[in-house]
Amino acid sequence: MTTTTPLLQLQDIRKNFGAIEALRGVTFDVSGGEVVALLGDNGAGKSTLVKIMAGGQPPSSGKVIFEGKERHFESPAEAKEAGIETVYQDLSLCTNVDVVSNFFMGRELTRKVLGVPILRQREMEIETAKALKEGGTNIPSLRVNVAHLSGGQRQAIELNRFVHWGGKLVLLDEPFAALGVEQTRRGLEMIERVRQRGIGVILITHVMAQAFAVADRIVVLRHGVVAGDVQTSQSSPDEVVNMITGGIERVAKGLANQPETGAGT
Amino acid sequence: MTTETATAPHNSSEMPARRRQVLEFLLDNLVWLILIVVLAVFSVSIDQFLQIGIFINILQNSTFIGIIAVGLSLTLIAGHMDLSIESVMALAAMVVALTFGTGGAGGALALEPAWLAFPVSLLMALAVGAIVGTINGVLVVRLSINAFIVTLASFIWARGLVVALSGGRSVYGLPDSMRVMAVDQIYGIPLLAWMLILVYIVFAFILAKTPFGRHLMMIGGNEVATYRAGIKVGAIVTATFILSGMLAGFAGWLLASRTAGATANLGIGMLFQAFAAVVIGGVSLKGGQGRLSGVFAGVLLLSSIQTAINVMGMPPHYTQMIQGGLVLAAVLLDTMKNTIRRRYL
Repeated sequence: MTTTTPLLQLQDIRKNFGAIEALRGVTFDVSGGEVVALLGDNGAGKSTLVKIMAGGQPPSSGKVIFEGKERHFESPAEAKEAGIETVYQDLSLCTNVDVVSNFFMGRELTRKVLGVPILRQREMEIETAKALKEGGTNIPSLRVNVAHLSGGQRQAIELNRFVHWGGKLVLLDEPFAALGVEQTRRGLEMIERVRQRGIGVILITHVMAQAFAVADRIVVLRHGVVAGDVQTSQSSPDEVVNMITGGIERVAKGLANQPETGAGT
Repeated sequence: MTTETATAPHNSSEMPARRRQVLEFLLDNLVWLILIVVLAVFSVSIDQFLQIGIFINILQNSTFIGIIAVGLSLTLIAGHMDLSIESVMALAAMVVALTFGTGGAGGALALEPAWLAFPVSLLMALAVGAIVGTINGVLVVRLSINAFIVTLASFIWARGLVVALSGGRSVYGLPDSMRVMAVDQIYGIPLLAWMLILVYIVFAFILAKTPFGRHLMMIGGNEVATYRAGIKVGAIVTATFILSGMLAGFAGWLLASRTAGATANLGIGMLFQAFAAVVIGGVSLKGGQGRLSGVFAGVLLLSSIQTAINVMGMPPHYTQMIQGGLVLAAVLLDTMKNTIRRRYL
C-alpha cells in the first residue's frame, strides 16, 4: 500500500431501518491530517453515518475500510480501540461525577495493589488540569460535578477530551451547537491543532462558515447519497447550498462506485 | 435542569470556597448528624439507653439489613435495583441449614474435620447468591427486562423455593464450627458487627477508589455516555447483580449462624427496612448518586430507633410506623438538600 491510502474509506454504505433507507450507498474517504466537513439537510443521513463510523450501528451493506483493512466495528469501544474518537451532538458526559472522572472516562489511570486496580486520582487531576489549560478552558475546580458547570464548559470538556486523546480519526457531530462565538473560534482552533498532528477529522455541521473556515474538503449528503464532494478552495458557499438543496450534484473526485440515482428522486 | 448553571459565571461559585466546602460536607453527611442527634436524645430521655451494651446491640442488629443494603445500594447506583436480596438471604440460609442442620428438616451433614463446615457452608451460601444474582443480571442486561420486574420475580420465586425446600418445616441445630460468627467476639465486639463493618469498608473502598466503582457511578449517571466511552456496561451491571446476590448470600450465612438454623419465613420484611435505610442514607432511586457511609448511617438510625422502642417497652408496631415516616422524611430531606445546593453552592 502506498502512503496515499486514505485513513478511512466508506464504500457504498447502505443502511435500512425497516422499509426506510437512511443511507443509499455512501462512498467517500478521509486521509490523515485532512479535515472533511460533512454537510447535509436534516434527515440527510449524517447522524446515521456517524454512528456507523463510530461503531454504534452496523451498516446494512457496504464496506468500512480503516487503515487499509476492512473493519466491522461491533461497538464504540472497538472503534475507539482502533483509533476513532467521537464527539456526539448530545454531550457524552456524566453530570453526576466530577470533571476529572469525565475526562478519563473509560481510560482511568490505575496502579495495581495486590492485583486490584486502584485509581490514580492525583495523576489524573494533574493531567486534566494541564489539558484544559492548553485548550484555554477555565474551570474553577476539577473536583466539582459536571452538573454544576455551564453548557459551554461542558462542551469544552468534551472538545479537550478529543484533543487530548486524539487517536487517528476524530468524528465531530455538531460539536459547537451549544457554544458562544469565542468558544466556537477556540473549537475551530482545536480542530486545526488536531489536524497538524496528522489526525483525520470529520466535522458534521450545519454552519457553512465553520465548514469553510477549517475544512479541506466538503462532502454533502442528500437523501442518503453523496451529492457533492469538493475541495473547499474550489467551491463556494453558494454552490454548497445548492448541493444541499439538490440544485446541483458534483463529485469532484469521480469515485468509482457512484451509486445509481434512485428512480424516485 | 441546566438553566440555572448555564448562566452562572464561575466567579460566584469561587468566592466562598471555604464556607462552601463546609456546607457541602454537612449536606453530604446529614444522616450522620441526624443519627448523632437521635442517639443523644435517646441517651438523655430514655432510662438505661446510654450503655456500651446497647450500642453494640444496635450495631449487631444492623448486620443483616446492613449487608443486604450494600447490594441494594450498588444496584441502585448503577441505575437498577435488586428486590430479591431478602429472599436470596433466606434461600442461602435455608440451603446451609438444610445441609448441616441436625434437627427438624436438617440433613445433618457432618464433615471431617468438623471445622470444614465453616468454609464449605460459606461457599455454598455465596454460590446460592451468585446463581440468583447471575440470573437477575443476565435477564436485566441481555434481555433488557426492567430490573424491578426481574428482581421482583426472583424475590417471589426464591421465597417459594425456601418454603418448597424445607417443606415448611424449620431447621435447627447447627454444628459449633458454623456458630462461630454468632457467638464469638473480638475486642468485646461481636463478630457479626465486625463483618458488617468489614463489608462497608471493603465496598466503600471499591466504590471510591477502583475503576469498577467509578464506572458503576457513571453508568448510573449516563449509561449512553459510558457505552460510547468504551466502558463494558453490560459486564459491569451483570457483575453488580452477582455481587448483590453474593452479599445477600453472605448475610444469609450469617443469619443461619445467628439463628442456629432457618425457618421458611426467615427475614421477611427486611427488604423494606433495607430499602428504607438506603433511601435515608441518600442513595438516589434515579441512579448515579449515593455513598455507602450514608447508607451505613441509615441502617444504624433504623436500628437505633428499633432498639429504643424495645428498651422503652413500647409495642413493636410503633417501629414500623416510625420507619415509614422516616422514609418519607428522608425523601423530603433530599429535596431540601437539593434546594439548598442550588441556592447556596
